[in-house]
Amino acid sequence: MNNDRQNRIASWEAVQQGFRGTGYIADRAIATTVYLAWHLGKPILVEGPAGVGKTELAKTAAAFLDLELIRLQCYEGLDEAKALYEWKYGKQLLYTQLLKDKLDEIVSRDNGFSAAIDKLHRYDDIFFSRHFLEPRPLLKALENPDGAVLLVDEIDKADEEFEAFLLEILSDYQVSIPEIGTVAAVSRPFVFLTSNNTRELSEALKRRCLHLFIPYPDAALERRIVRSRVPDLPARLEKQLVSFIQQIRGLDLKKAPSISETIDWARVVVLLHAERLTSEVVRDTLHVFLKYQDDVHTVEERMPQLTTMLLRNDGG
Amino acid sequence: MDRVLEDFVTALRLSGVRISVAETLDACSAAALVGYGNRLLLKDSLGAALAKSGHEKDLFSDTFDRFFSDFTCTAALPERDDGVDREATLPEDPLSRMLLQGDQASLAAALQEAARAADIRAIRLPTQRSLYTVRILNALGIDGLDSTIRTFSGAGSGGPLAQADALQAARQELVDNVRQYVERQLDLYGRGIVNEYLEEALRKTRLSHLEQRHFEKMGELIQRLVKRLNDIHSRRRKAARRGHLDFKRTLRHNVPYGGFIFDPKWKQRKVNRPDVLVICDISRSMMRLVRFFLLFLYGLNEEILRIRTFVFCSNLIDVSDVFERYPVEVAVDRLQQGTDLPIVMGLTDYARSLDDFRLQYLNLVTRRTTVLFLGDGRNNNADPGTHVLRDIYQRCKRLVWLNPEPRPFWGTGDSEMKRFLPYCHAARECNTLDHLERVIGSLLAATRH
Repeated sequence: MNNDRQNRIASWEAVQQGFRGTGYIADRAIATTVYLAWHLGKPILVEGPAGVGKTELAKTAAAFLDLELIRLQCYEGLDEAKALYEWKYGKQLLYTQLLKDKLDEIVSRDNGFSAAIDKLHRYDDIFFSRHFLEPRPLLKALENPDGAVLLVDEIDKADEEFEAFLLEILSDYQVSIPEIGTVAAVSRPFVFLTSNNTRELSEALKRRCLHLFIPYPDAALERRIVRSRVPDLPARLEKQLVSFIQQIRGLDLKKAPSISETIDWARVVVLLHAERLTSEVVRDTLHVFLKYQDDVHTVEERMPQLTTMLLRNDGG
Repeated sequence: MDRVLEDFVTALRLSGVRISVAETLDACSAAALVGYGNRLLLKDSLGAALAKSGHEKDLFSDTFDRFFSDFTCTAALPERDDGVDREATLPEDPLSRMLLQGDQASLAAALQEAARAADIRAIRLPTQRSLYTVRILNALGIDGLDSTIRTFSGAGSGGPLAQADALQAARQELVDNVRQYVERQLDLYGRGIVNEYLEEALRKTRLSHLEQRHFEKMGELIQRLVKRLNDIHSRRRKAARRGHLDFKRTLRHNVPYGGFIFDPKWKQRKVNRPDVLVICDISRSMMRLVRFFLLFLYGLNEEILRIRTFVFCSNLIDVSDVFERYPVEVAVDRLQQGTDLPIVMGLTDYARSLDDFRLQYLNLVTRRTTVLFLGDGRNNNADPGTHVLRDIYQRCKRLVWLNPEPRPFWGTGDSEMKRFLPYCHAARECNTLDHLERVIGSLLAATRH
């Protein structure tokens, strides 16, 4: 199984091919980084604007390598108890109480104090065992015997202390649990971290990762992506649609549409059975790819220029 | 090939990309994995291992293209059919041979080798250009070439003389080549250093003497310093949120459950957020300093610091709401222009301003307040009103006076600093970015328990 995976990821071209098979169009930089990260055993830190396929990349990698995807969504206030494991103190304490009688039995049979202690020592592993441990995504990823793809999504949303806590996992693939000891990875997980750059990540974290920046795609790449995701879209429409979106990205918008929005729009246009992109169709569907009223206004003002361009494209 | 990679990392570092040793090792293994055959592939791989942000990616791409560009030596003489049998008269000197044989490739290689011998990587400043040009030429063996030229021209007429002319021209070309080469290396290794010098100088420049064109750069610098302080102190705050098991409290809390203990309670450390009250003199002599001081202070995380700000000149007003309503930059600008503020910008009047404070805001000063007083203590020979400062001093936890003037000037002329000093827990000279950072750093450290 493992050999099979190594073969599958033998070169960056193989990665690109394989990803295309699962419907993800990766450019050279993406494929190279995935290839390198796998062979060097490094996590990948993926940055870029929202909706360019950062999370999708991890999902695709999991599908391509036939590994389980374990996802950890970060948010402010996320801590070890929710990310790594939770120690069930309540349960532990309750068990101690319930087993008190049993303990009395064990201890009372021996008269000597030291003999009783010795006896107790034989049992103390029970109270610090996996029974009281609730594994969370990170621990699950480390303990998965086949290895897994671990996706730490939007790491920039988590607190800085959580970032520091991740360092041990990212460099050594192990964690320390005070109650039990150190848990090392059974099989090294393939880690993806994504970030939207809401804040600067720490140097220490960046140092441990390979860095991949996914920008907005150029027209040719975007057309290939749309073609692979929305195959029903007529070629002429696809060309119009992509060049329109590319134009809009050049405007001064609060939130420029990204690939996911282009795909959504393409799907909507297919559903509407539009033959070609006219200014009416665009006007009716603006809300699909623009998420702010201000942006809608900006685009509507520019409509005449934008549609002239469309018509020109249509002729050509 | 690792040596080339090492040079490349040096060039990257100097252009402003921060690279650790671990990342260099990653880059080496990445290069070993993909090989040096495909230029674009190598670029992507090294980029993934070395450049870790959008900005750094741009720097990386630029440096990569400059570093791995080909350098051609145009000095080598082309083959000519002038009937002269060059092979017959080839001189002993290797440099002359290369030039006469028109061997561009080995000439370029020799140039690289000579550059390495001259330690071109150490070049930083434009003034070092001639020095390195001469060093490289010497390492190439220009002496040998010169003596060859002399020998040939001394031979009289015919073939050798033509050779000497050709060599003379080639020599000129070679010197030009080396100069260009040094120029490019300077561009590669010297670019970041100017920036670094500037930053270091700016940190030590008196804020009041700062030129307008450096303001933007100062803003960047302040942001970096503030980020560092924020990182250090916010992390410490958060660590205090969850403590150890509080056994006593757990026992007490679980008494109602018939002695069954199952609901643990935690010890928690309470962390004080320093309460800071800033009083600034914004007379013209102080304005620059106040500007940077406030930019710095308000850049700090709200979680770390709670600030109230008062400014005074002839009278004193509360401007905390200006900072709440506008972003820091805008707020500072508004202060500077005095937009919509009931402040009189006449002569500085400490007595009146301090009295304003006593009447309206003295109750804000508690045992937990740290008061930062920013002023030069120059009161135009009027009564300084020290008794109010004494009242503040007695009520507050700590009163720190920051004075932009150097200590020997305190108390000279109309400076009343000596009379304020008894009522300050600490008084510091504060007029550069370094001072600011130190003062605020110690403020955060001192008010923490």
